[in-house]
Amino acid sequence: MTDLVLKNIGKTYPNGYQAIPSIDLSIEEGEFIVLVGPSGCGKSTLLRMVAGLETITQGDLLIKGNRVNEKEPADRDIAMVFQNYALYPHMTVRANMAYGLKNRGVPKEERDTKVDSVATMLGLEELLDRKPNQLSGGQRQRVAMGRAMVRDPKVFLFDEPLSNLDAKLRVQMRVEIRQLQRKLATTTLYVTHDQVEAMTLADRLVVLNKGKAEQIGTPMELYNKPTSTFVAAFIGSPAMNLLDAEVTGKGIKLNESIVLPFSHDYRGKVIWGIRPEHLVASDEQNGDIALQVQAVESLGAETLIHGVLVGSQQTDGSAVPLVVRLSGPHLPDIGSHLWFTVPREDWHLFDANTQQRL
Amino acid sequence: MSVYFPQKKLPYLLVLPQLIITAIFFLWPAGQAFKQAFYREDAFGLSQTFIGFGNFIDLFQDPLYYKSMGVTMVFSFSVAFFGIAIALWLAVMADRVIRGKMAYQTLLVWPYAVAPALAGVLWWILFDPNIGPIALFLDRIGIHWNHFLNGDQAMILVVIAATWKQISYNFLFFLAGLQAIPRSLIEAAAIDGAGPFKRFWDIVFPLLSPTTFFLLVVNLVYAFFDTFGVIDTTTQGGPDGSTNTLVYKVFKDGFIGLDSGGSAAQSIVLMAIVGLMTVVQFRFIERKVQY
Repeated sequence: MTDLVLKNIGKTYPNGYQAIPSIDLSIEEGEFIVLVGPSGCGKSTLLRMVAGLETITQGDLLIKGNRVNEKEPADRDIAMVFQNYALYPHMTVRANMAYGLKNRGVPKEERDTKVDSVATMLGLEELLDRKPNQLSGGQRQRVAMGRAMVRDPKVFLFDEPLSNLDAKLRVQMRVEIRQLQRKLATTTLYVTHDQVEAMTLADRLVVLNKGKAEQIGTPMELYNKPTSTFVAAFIGSPAMNLLDAEVTGKGIKLNESIVLPFSHDYRGKVIWGIRPEHLVASDEQNGDIALQVQAVESLGAETLIHGVLVGSQQTDGSAVPLVVRLSGPHLPDIGSHLWFTVPREDWHLFDANTQQRL
Repeated sequence: MSVYFPQKKLPYLLVLPQLIITAIFFLWPAGQAFKQAFYREDAFGLSQTFIGFGNFIDLFQDPLYYKSMGVTMVFSFSVAFFGIAIALWLAVMADRVIRGKMAYQTLLVWPYAVAPALAGVLWWILFDPNIGPIALFLDRIGIHWNHFLNGDQAMILVVIAATWKQISYNFLFFLAGLQAIPRSLIEAAAIDGAGPFKRFWDIVFPLLSPTTFFLLVVNLVYAFFDTFGVIDTTTQGGPDGSTNTLVYKVFKDGFIGLDSGGSAAQSIVLMAIVGLMTVVQFRFIERKVQY
């Protein structure tokens, strides 16, 4: 059953600025949807529209089949976790978690039972009598989640909940959020600008660009078949190599000297993409392209080699940058040439004008 | 933070102007008052007799002094309460205004720039039983207004005049306090099912409590000591001492009644009160309110 439906949803501010032109999305019960995009792409605005904190100026928002456009946030049966947690600083953890239940007239014993059971699930039993300023960042994050969970809402909304945590804690909480969501099977809408977070958490991802959904799909769909250069560059780290190229009768022409054999009906300018991890080390005889090494980042398990494509220039005359990711340690000399083959199945081709996948 | 000066004299030289001002305009008169409090002076100021605690004994046996104390309490707490309540209400409203915010806020701050005496005159004219528009309006709706004869009405008048001036000051602090509350807290409460009224009392008001407490002390001090001008230009402590606050009584007994000893004794008591209030202010405000 679909739980949450966004039908032609749009937002135009009174001053005429169109934050979100139109978005269609239907979310299945228990699904984990991540809205991802660069800052200013409208992802938080969209989430806040679902929450009822921003007005919807166009389209319909349906929760469990009911149109809730005009409903107050409290009447939408949603719970939200804010980026800064938004815990009430003058209330204890218990009071923070019980506040929503109290406002809904739940009797005290029932409130206590619910808070206790959620606190046990999140490991917060010891902290129930503390005030938020006596908690660490990770604990506050957990309390904020507990406050959302205790009401057992139809939809969870997360607004960049991990961005205030340090890197290690962020990874830990990410796993925890995923496990909790699986266990509770509550439909979830999660906003982040971090593509790693997006990929690891999502059942389906929505990549937003300037208020438009560039692509909606599972993390692997987006990784394997990005529909536009924007998605191609956004998903995956380091980002996909995108090179200007041209499809001719002989094949795909990266520059005057590099022409890769390729047959396609399309003729004209394209953008040729390949992910850093899909370049295969080779030698001068068998390699398709050569890279001049400029910088090496050794991460132990893998090595990132930054360089430029040998014998090629961009239209403005600068060298064409290229990143390669190799597993294990490598230590090529700066300035040396490395040869790679580029397997056909790992290419991504985009129309140079529309930036859409061919 | 400490700063080190190469010469020993320079720092003293730098604070000297302030020290001189304090000495001439505060320490010296305070010393004089302290001395006078133990003497009885004749009305022409020609002779002084040392009478020890005589002035204080007289003071604390005088029913008029206790009446004045009661008047001061009613006056001060009314001014503080209405000043804070109205300013808070205005600040909450101003915080919601989006268009014309600056103009609205500037207008609300203006009364603070008006001198207390002028504020008094302004309200005195508005409420004048013969020509005041508000008094005439009240007459028309059946309330006979004459603060020259009716002590309660006189009290209402001075409370209005003194409060009006203080609202601006309180408003500024409340507005700053409100703007310091993260929007997400209010939004979280909205999602938690709290209506606007509940959000205010459950979230906003508790978070403003440090500001409110600070303003309570400041307003009480203002009403106690800083409202001489307002009272002098409106009721002069009358009728029948119904607006004769402690500060106004010091002036009246000393400069009109020419009882300088009794007046000095009263100012010593006032000094003790202001000292006490300062202690309270530092003790409770400096230590941040816990939440």
